[in-house]
Amino acid sequence: MGIVTAIWEKWVEFKYEWKKITAAAMVSPLLYMIALGWGLGSMASMGGRPYIDFLVPGVIAMSTMNNSFSAVSTSLNIQRIFEHSFEQIIISPTSLGQYVVGQSVGGALRGVYSGILVLLISIPFGVGLKLTPMFFLIMFLNGLAFGALGVLAAIIGNNHTDVSRFATFIITPMTFLCNTFFPLDKVPGAIQILIKLLPLTHASSQLRGISYGGPASLFSIAVLIAYSAAFMLISVFLINKRKNL
Amino acid sequence: MKRMIEIKNVTKIYPGQKEPALKNISLTIESGEFFGLLGPNGAGKTTMIKLLATLLIPNEGEIIVDGEVLRRASRDVKRRLSMITQEYSLRANMTPEQIMELQGRLYHLPHDKIKARSDELLTFCGLHEHRKKVCRQLSGGMKRKLMLCRGLLTEPDILILDEPTVGLDPFARRQMWDLLKQLNDRGMTILLTTHYIDEAQYLCRRIALIDKGRTDRVDSPAELIKELGSVAVDEFDGSHTKSSFFKDREEALKYAASLEGEFMIRSTTLEDVFLALIGRKLEAK
Repeated sequence: MGIVTAIWEKWVEFKYEWKKITAAAMVSPLLYMIALGWGLGSMASMGGRPYIDFLVPGVIAMSTMNNSFSAVSTSLNIQRIFEHSFEQIIISPTSLGQYVVGQSVGGALRGVYSGILVLLISIPFGVGLKLTPMFFLIMFLNGLAFGALGVLAAIIGNNHTDVSRFATFIITPMTFLCNTFFPLDKVPGAIQILIKLLPLTHASSQLRGISYGGPASLFSIAVLIAYSAAFMLISVFLINKRKNL
Repeated sequence: MKRMIEIKNVTKIYPGQKEPALKNISLTIESGEFFGLLGPNGAGKTTMIKLLATLLIPNEGEIIVDGEVLRRASRDVKRRLSMITQEYSLRANMTPEQIMELQGRLYHLPHDKIKARSDELLTFCGLHEHRKKVCRQLSGGMKRKLMLCRGLLTEPDILILDEPTVGLDPFARRQMWDLLKQLNDRGMTILLTTHYIDEAQYLCRRIALIDKGRTDRVDSPAELIKELGSVAVDEFDGSHTKSSFFKDREEALKYAASLEGEFMIRSTTLEDVFLALIGRKLEAK
């Protein structure tokens, strides 16, 4: 019940601002595709395929991550710190665990929406990708992990700047490092191992692999689920244990 | 009478603060009682309300609601409790209709009931025609009324109100008083904090005077007034007004006869009790 309520709440948020959300979700991917796809990409190929085919799955993973994270972290932090409307959630009999899962799923759906927008933008660039249900499932799981991380950031952050800093230190490095714009085999060994531990690495490599016609890795799916579960559990633990919300 | 809320030796210290916001507070609120928490700014009233809402967790002591220790995960207790906070606590981009639906969903009410009761409450508070506007477009008074509608949607057994009439015009304030009286007559337990002393005197059966995190006195408004003296004599000495209190009118008249300047004899109010309490504390400092 709490899960459905939180998803409904995210839907109401989306309905109110869908034009702005849609426009904002398209700007960065479009710029990356023009600058790196048409621009730099025209001078390179990746494993015998055009660079744009390599780039687009990475941009989808990145866009899913960014939009899922910000859809939850910004909104929930505003509710907690400025609007004080999060108080009504705490006061209510709704299970906080269910509410956190619902927020994360709501964030994931927003991520999937932004991923679909990237796919639409990529059409004029002549991208040749194979889309399967597993491709969309990976998008959803990536969004779920970062939606859950968004809940965590909103709970930890004592003001809006804290949430921005969280994004600067956690989200931005992943954007550039996690198999988004270049393959990981170009990265030195120790750093490569570290990057392979991160959820976005698994999401972008899986999206790329599936779109090239390969199978999905159950290990990567398990990693994304584990990250989602861990972020949700920590969030619920912190909400329940913090003496001052 | 059954004990509905028991606050037992509760102490709350905010992080980084040396002085507790509440120190070893114990109070009992009975079922169906209209109870008031009265105190100056920073007395600890809102801290107490936030503890009852489980937004804060006490450092020491516990709160028991209808026999069950109140915790953040106490879902059965919370189903019976509604709170109207001092801040607006509304989603700025949601409409009153959506705010009510969210509240109903959070309390697991069936959709039909949410719709019917929302219509009834929004109409009663004059908000029905504004139900499609987003909250940021509503006036302060409308937001306050919407919070009351939201609090009543779930038909709670216990209603906690933190300064509920701030921002309301005198007519709306009286309207809210009448509604709260009606709800209390029907058996709802109500805990109220307010800056308006006349509001506490009119509505509350018992009042706890709270200052600097401690409860000084808990009694009915009539008893608190009687203890101070039921008749007051105000005398103005050219720079400030001094009030003296007497058991009855006869004693007051006898004192007034000895005065040379202007004076006024009147009934003592709860405000006098409040000012006397704060005044004593200032003198003690």
